[in-house]
Amino acid sequence: MLSIKNLHASVEGKEILKGINLEIKAGEVHAIMGPNGSGKSTLSQVLAGNDAFEVTEGEVTLNGENLLELETEERARDGIFLAFQYPVEIPGVSNLQFLRTAVNAMRKHKGEAEMNAAEFMKLAKEVSKQVDLDPAFLKRGVNEGFSGGEKKRNEIMQALMLQPKLAILDETDSGLDIDALKVVSDGVNALRSDDRAILMVTHYQRLLNHIVPDYVHVLAGGRIIKSGGRELALELEEKGYGWLGIKDDDASN
Amino acid sequence: MKSVPMLSSAFLHPAGHSLPEPLLALRKERASALVDMPLPTRKTENWKYSSKYLKLADDMAISLPAEGKTGNSLAVPGYKVVFLNGVMIPEASEYPDLDGIQITSFNDLDADEANALAARLGHTLDHAQAQFARLNGARFEDGLLVRLKAGAVLDQPLFIIHETSADASGSAYPRIFVEAGANSQLTLVEEYTSTGQASALISTVTEFSLAEGANVTSVRLNMEGENVQHIGATGVRQQRSSRFESHCVGFGGPLRRHDLQVRLEGEGAETKLNGVVVTQGKQHYDNHTSIDHVAAHCNSEETYRNIAADQSHAVFNGRIHIHQDAQKSNADMNNKNLLLSNGAEIDTKPELEIYADDVKCAHGATIGQLDETSVFYLVSRGIDRRQANVLLTMAFINELVEQIPVAVVRETAQARLSDFFEQTFREA
Repeated sequence: MLSIKNLHASVEGKEILKGINLEIKAGEVHAIMGPNGSGKSTLSQVLAGNDAFEVTEGEVTLNGENLLELETEERARDGIFLAFQYPVEIPGVSNLQFLRTAVNAMRKHKGEAEMNAAEFMKLAKEVSKQVDLDPAFLKRGVNEGFSGGEKKRNEIMQALMLQPKLAILDETDSGLDIDALKVVSDGVNALRSDDRAILMVTHYQRLLNHIVPDYVHVLAGGRIIKSGGRELALELEEKGYGWLGIKDDDASN
Repeated sequence: MKSVPMLSSAFLHPAGHSLPEPLLALRKERASALVDMPLPTRKTENWKYSSKYLKLADDMAISLPAEGKTGNSLAVPGYKVVFLNGVMIPEASEYPDLDGIQITSFNDLDADEANALAARLGHTLDHAQAQFARLNGARFEDGLLVRLKAGAVLDQPLFIIHETSADASGSAYPRIFVEAGANSQLTLVEEYTSTGQASALISTVTEFSLAEGANVTSVRLNMEGENVQHIGATGVRQQRSSRFESHCVGFGGPLRRHDLQVRLEGEGAETKLNGVVVTQGKQHYDNHTSIDHVAAHCNSEETYRNIAADQSHAVFNGRIHIHQDAQKSNADMNNKNLLLSNGAEIDTKPELEIYADDVKCAHGATIGQLDETSVFYLVSRGIDRRQANVLLTMAFINELVEQIPVAVVRETAQARLSDFFEQTFREA
């Protein structure tokens, strides 16, 4: 489904990704682990199409299509979804308006009829229950005044509404207490299916206790330095990043 | 020495003589005082950023005829008074006889009423600051008097629709005078629209006099066409414990100017002024507001937002004057601005004069651009970039638009603003 070959990317002239290679097939769940500054978030942002990052080399294809030529919104319509590490607060645009606009943009792209207000409300209420958000939040501004946990649940809610082909979760576990982590994980597990892939980016392995990955990759210095199965994450937790000769310069995360 | 440009004498000849005698006399007196009226230049402080947009050709001095069909305005749920080129059109107006409430065209006032009005007309305004209110005073051909007796409550909003119809160049001088008696209540909506493609000047004056405990909400929608220069003034005087609320929504034009002057003259009076302005292309809009805290224990709260796209130009000047005896005044002024292109210009200036020593007075102004992170967040969900821009631009002013108390006006404003932004981002 997703194929990344020798991907190099930089921000403000500084190279962050230095040759990433990764193949993800439909139905698979991959985890990318690594210390802060290793390039995890950059990889997520580059895949989603953030202009702040410049791809200098390499190629990325989604089901054979050159992803790097597409605008952010086109990537989203083709099935890329990024759950943000820091979801943006947008006062003045309600969650309802935001979600409905997004869902209808996707439907339009697929040649489906737009959802009317009543249909949409019904769906939105169902899904909000699934991630344990009070439907009253729909009337509030996008992420406005949300706690960290609520923001992350809202990201998962969006993924559930938009049904992407590839969901990229950027540090979705950060800032969550154990109950919220459970809700978010249940949401992500509900997304798992044979025709969908999930890429989780995380510093810690605790999320992987709840969402069990098929593959684990260790990212350091802008390259994947080790890949393995589930057991790699456990080993990392036990031995620390130092085990692979990586300096974890910020343990405060 | 270079001579100061003066108002052309062509503008000093009012047409129409159907007004009651006392108002005709007043108009004549004011016209003769205009002989020496200088036109603002960029050296005129309160027209510094706007004088270059003022283009008064002699043929615009001609009064636009008050004939032809009206249309092009809100379908309103409340009471409606329609003016065409400054003159009331009774056939298009609908409002019932209400106990304690007088709604009368200036032309229909009897001699006593006209005398009483002539004595008060203009008394809410500082004409040195709102120079063009003088022109209106010399040229008005009709107007609307709204009087609420003590305790009277208008049960539905009163819509006053001022339509400009300009098939040939000319000008019109709409005028409204509202006298709200003690503890009376009123919501008044002024809508300014236009038809026709000729160059026109609209000079408006609206006055509100609020007696003790009166509660007045004013909504002003400025939606005239591309060839209409609009210079409006609103004057408000508030007595003890009265409350005034203003919601202005303005769309840019070749010249758009609104002066809003509020005097808090009785203790415990409160005023709240909200304003939204949007400009695009080469449009202009200038809001000058002025709040005088004359009496003690009064509150004022002012929030204005401007959005300027393309090569357009918006101006906000907010003056707050706290007089010596106005102790325990509470004044809060906030102006936020959004620039949508490098070629757009917004000038904002707070002017605070504080002569009392025990007051709270806060002011803030910001100018910024659309937040790229927010745009990225929206487009990453598949939303069109253009639509994301529209959503975020609307979001900048939604908080104010949502406070407009009359649903039909709020929805009209929202729809118009949304259309405006769709057009603004058409190339994006």
